[in-house]
Amino acid sequence: MKDIIDQATVRAIEFNADGATRTFFERLRERRFQSTRCGACQQVAYPPRLFCAACGHGEVEWVDLPRRGTLHAFTTQHRSLRFFDPDVLGLVELAGVGFVLSKIDAELDALSIGQEVEVDYLEISGDLVVHQFRPV
Amino acid sequence: MSTEVALIGGAMSPLTKLMSEPSFDLVRTTIDAAIQDAGVDRAAVDCLAVTPPGMAGHNTSMFVSRLNAHMGLTLKSLACLENGGCSSALALRWAINEVRSGRCRVAVAVGADQRLQTLPEENESWETFLARNVFATMAIYGSYDGPYGLGAPIPYYAMSAQRYMHETGATAEDLAWAAVRLREHAHQHEHATFKGKRLSVDDVLSSKLLSPPLHLADCSQFVSGAAAVVVTSADVARSLERRPVWLRGFGQHHHPSSFTAGAESLTRFPAVQEAAQEAYAEAGIAAGDIDVAEVYGVFSSTELILTEDLGFFPRGQAGAAFREGRSTYGGDVVVDPSGGRLSLGHPACATPLIEVLEILLQLQERAGDRQVPGAEWGLVHAEHGMLNGSQVTVWQGDDQ
Repeated sequence: MKDIIDQATVRAIEFNADGATRTFFERLRERRFQSTRCGACQQVAYPPRLFCAACGHGEVEWVDLPRRGTLHAFTTQHRSLRFFDPDVLGLVELAGVGFVLSKIDAELDALSIGQEVEVDYLEISGDLVVHQFRPV
Repeated sequence: MSTEVALIGGAMSPLTKLMSEPSFDLVRTTIDAAIQDAGVDRAAVDCLAVTPPGMAGHNTSMFVSRLNAHMGLTLKSLACLENGGCSSALALRWAINEVRSGRCRVAVAVGADQRLQTLPEENESWETFLARNVFATMAIYGSYDGPYGLGAPIPYYAMSAQRYMHETGATAEDLAWAAVRLREHAHQHEHATFKGKRLSVDDVLSSKLLSPPLHLADCSQFVSGAAAVVVTSADVARSLERRPVWLRGFGQHHHPSSFTAGAESLTRFPAVQEAAQEAYAEAGIAAGDIDVAEVYGVFSSTELILTEDLGFFPRGQAGAAFREGRSTYGGDVVVDPSGGRLSLGHPACATPLIEVLEILLQLQERAGDRQVPGAEWGLVHAEHGMLNGSQVTVWQGDDQ
């Protein structure tokens, strides 16, 4: 069952992808947490894009995202297609970038708003690595 | 040169857990009920604007073309509009614009949502079923959030609720009061999913914790159903028996985000504020003038936040307002006399027109036991994403 969900997820990522999506997940497989920065206004985007959605400029470069951020909010989900209870999700605020939804590798009761968290990688399958965060 | 637009009649179907009849039958019978309620001739309808029959992604290709061939209407305008929860609000806007421009005189907007079985279809393998569900949810939540297994938007709204409590000092009891007020209203609505089922603050707080801080009773229930309304030009409206309800203000705003990525806040939504201000300005009124409102609050926390973003209550005070009865009969404004999304039921694609129908009935003084006495000004709010986009319409009853 896990194989079916994983394979369908990889196919769905491809199906819904824009030109930057494939690179984003390639970098995660290489254990790099990256996104795109505008060559003109310098805005770092999340999610990444092959153009700048802030100013419309057409040239961007791939840069490392901040490895640490603050936990803006967090909760759990029960009916996940992927992870089983307890499945903690959080919204991490990266300075200068904005909100990133991710899995939080911690007990719910151990978390608090504003806490510093650091990125790590979670291998779902050989083809799919996602980012997750845990308290520093 | 724009023409005045009047809301004349409307109808909704019963709300059921799963689809109870084929799409065409549900949509057609709802449209015909709305036309009959309006008292217009079926042959006079010259515009039909619909939504796809739900967010389940089935049976949508060229839906409106096939639907109208089935219905047999000869039209000057035919369109299918989709943008998540805003879909039927956009169908309404299409209808309004066609009448305002003078091209059409009698326009019908309809929204329908049909939930499918959440188990494999007959002869469908678990493998195919699972893959199909992964594709459906990944299409909604996208390549970046989707891989975390989101099957519903509840975690996003739970985090919004957590932030709202953190930033304003609101409590779980405050959230629960929103659910309780809506349940009180739902007892007067014949189609309410939770009609007759009492709910107290303790009941909300002791219901299952789905995604903290949201309990089961803080959440709306997805159901199937349809709603349709008829809008006409002023001359047509004046020729009919029903009292017209006049469109006075229209606002729509879309922030460049969907759900949380790119959003500025989880507790204040610029799309709601901007759409409301645009609508109030066009109508020449303020939030305090609204007598009755239907808002697209799909969670108790959202219900509170929306009434603040729409300007009914000051920031952080909606919880107290709901508790003190300022959002119900005898208060400042009656919010969701229908029972709202939490207790009436939430067929997402149809919800905005269910809201419009309620305001129509209120401003025509046809709302029966749930009539807001003397209601003159009504407001309807609809949204998509997590309040990333919103539409607000302001309506006035006829004084003649």
